Amino acid sequence: MKGSWDDRDNPFAIEKRDDDLAPDDDTSPHALEVRPARIGLAIVLLASLVGAYFAATSTADFVTHLDRDVHAIHCSFNPGDKAEMGESGCRTVMLSPYSSFFRDRWWGGVPVALWALAVFSFLAYRSAHLIWRGKPLRSEGLFLFLATLLPVGMSAVYGHLAVNEVGAVCNVCVGIYVASGAAFLGALLTLLLSVPKRDPAAVRRFATGFGEGVLFVGAMTLVYLTSVPEGRADGKGGAAGCGGLVQPEDEAGIMVTLGGKGKAAIEVLDPLCPACRAFDARLKASGLDEKLAAKAVLFPLDSTCNWMVSTSLHPGACAVSEAMLCAAEKDAQGPRKVLDWAFVHQEALRELAEKDEPALRAKIEAEFPNVKGCLGSAVVKNKIVKSLRWAVSNALPVMTPQLFVEGTRMCDEDTDLGLEYTLTQMLSRGGAK
Amino acid sequence: MNDLARKGITGGVGLAVPAFLVLSWIGAAAERLEEKAKAPQERKVAIASVAEDAYCTPELKAIVRRVAGACGLLDQSGGRGCQPMEAKNVAQLSDDDFNALFRPLAKRAHIIQFDADQTELDPAAMAQVEKAWGDQRGASFFFVVARASPDGNEKKNEELSAARAKAVLGHLQAKFNDPDLKKEVGLLWLGEGFAQLGTEFCDWQRSRSGECTSKEINRSAFVAWIDCAI
Repeated sequence: MKGSWDDRDNPFAIEKRDDDLAPDDDTSPHALEVRPARIGLAIVLLASLVGAYFAATSTADFVTHLDRDVHAIHCSFNPGDKAEMGESGCRTVMLSPYSSFFRDRWWGGVPVALWALAVFSFLAYRSAHLIWRGKPLRSEGLFLFLATLLPVGMSAVYGHLAVNEVGAVCNVCVGIYVASGAAFLGALLTLLLSVPKRDPAAVRRFATGFGEGVLFVGAMTLVYLTSVPEGRADGKGGAAGCGGLVQPEDEAGIMVTLGGKGKAAIEVLDPLCPACRAFDARLKASGLDEKLAAKAVLFPLDSTCNWMVSTSLHPGACAVSEAMLCAAEKDAQGPRKVLDWAFVHQEALRELAEKDEPALRAKIEAEFPNVKGCLGSAVVKNKIVKSLRWAVSNALPVMTPQLFVEGTRMCDEDTDLGLEYTLTQMLSRGGAK
Repeated sequence: MNDLARKGITGGVGLAVPAFLVLSWIGAAAERLEEKAKAPQERKVAIASVAEDAYCTPELKAIVRRVAGACGLLDQSGGRGCQPMEAKNVAQLSDDDFNALFRPLAKRAHIIQFDADQTELDPAAMAQVEKAWGDQRGASFFFVVARASPDGNEKKNEELSAARAKAVLGHLQAKFNDPDLKKEVGLLWLGEGFAQLGTEFCDWQRSRSGECTSKEINRSAFVAWIDCAI
């Protein structure tokens, strides 16, 4: 292809060099004019802009939640689609511990989407600059190629985490993965079509490019951290909590041990509640569960035993709660085992209970034979009532999960993105009352 | 235009646009957070409470409270039990009106039957008592209203009904060992003198399935949780 194309007819031809290359560049102008490296650069630019769009969408959704409220979030490839309020893969992923870093230092942490936005912005800048200037050198092509390995690598890691750890895939994230792949291919094309001459300034260019990349990520992080709201101006919420227990005693023996060593904590939960499962997973992923000597008060949101709900939000929750109380009589670790099993099979258990509650009870007995004779008995049903009445005595909201650290109730808005930060603060304050 | 200028323009735009966007999003979130602190939103989630069934009319609650208070249920002194004349005086109701109080409990109440001149619970009666107690849900008071059939003398029947009520309580204590029993269980023994049950109560949940005349249905203890926040 060298030296045979007419610039006037070739839309991809690179314009003649002027003052854009360093004096020590010994690249032949003739060679520079003929390689259609702009195709690759255009692909990188376009892919970077698309990636930046998806990363910005994800960052915006994350940042919106810094007001400690629940908001609709975007979970579509189509830019025109509205944000969704209900459960979605994007919400699950956003609430997972992998969506941000340094969660114990800042409320919500620094969203990884912010860094994705910074990286795509950087790639867009690099590719736009090279398109504008023209004549990308092999060293520049190589740097761009290596730079695109970062989003590609992160996409691979996060795709793996989404499928294998979080169990949900976020469409916006998939948009980022695809954009990363496209940018990588564009950069590869740029590398292959760039000027193959030796570049004495390659190391300097590489260092400069690397420094610029760090600057983009660092500047965005700095912008984020210097402007992120620390908490409510009235000082409420956060480590100060939202209320407390007026009758924390367990006179009826209705609390079951969940594990951990450290500050006394009580978790009000429903074993078939998806939010409780997600909360438990977040707590485990944070490692903070080990700093809590946690007990559970069972609060099944199932009208078969809970008079406070008019319909069974989680059918079968009463039966599984009974099983946890029964298991506690045989083995201190029993309730945790039942809970973990229930969390794993939540959807199937709820479905089974809705169709045939006795079948669910039979399934529980088959899985945990030591609850036979106790499950469904008047004694354990009475314990469930006591458990619910414990919530009445403490005037708790009819919702799960709820966490109390040494009697102080963690605010609902701090149980997802702000969990690590708030809990760390509560633990360091010694569980303020 | 030299390369540095191009870099400055593209790099500046590349950095400034996302930074501006992030700043504006964070600013909006911070503003909402501040507003929330200034004007706290009302809690939309219900607060856990004891049950309050549809049949808990103000009139019914007033009567139940009066009966329960006078019969030692509302204080926690442990003094418990209301004798026939006391119950009648406190309720200020006729026999039929007194029984009418319990008609809405058709699905909740259990009738524990006894043999003539007997006060011991048979296995079916024990099971029925346990079933009734285990079905507390959000109820606050567990009423045990014992009666006797009008055979024999009145004094003897009063003692029989008292013993039947206490037999139910004794079984609950032995079976459940529940400290809340003292606060939740109220005993009324009516002997043969007040509010005898009609045979229409034979259709309710009974511990026996055999013959049910007015004698059989009144050799009984009527047990039920009352779903009213009294």
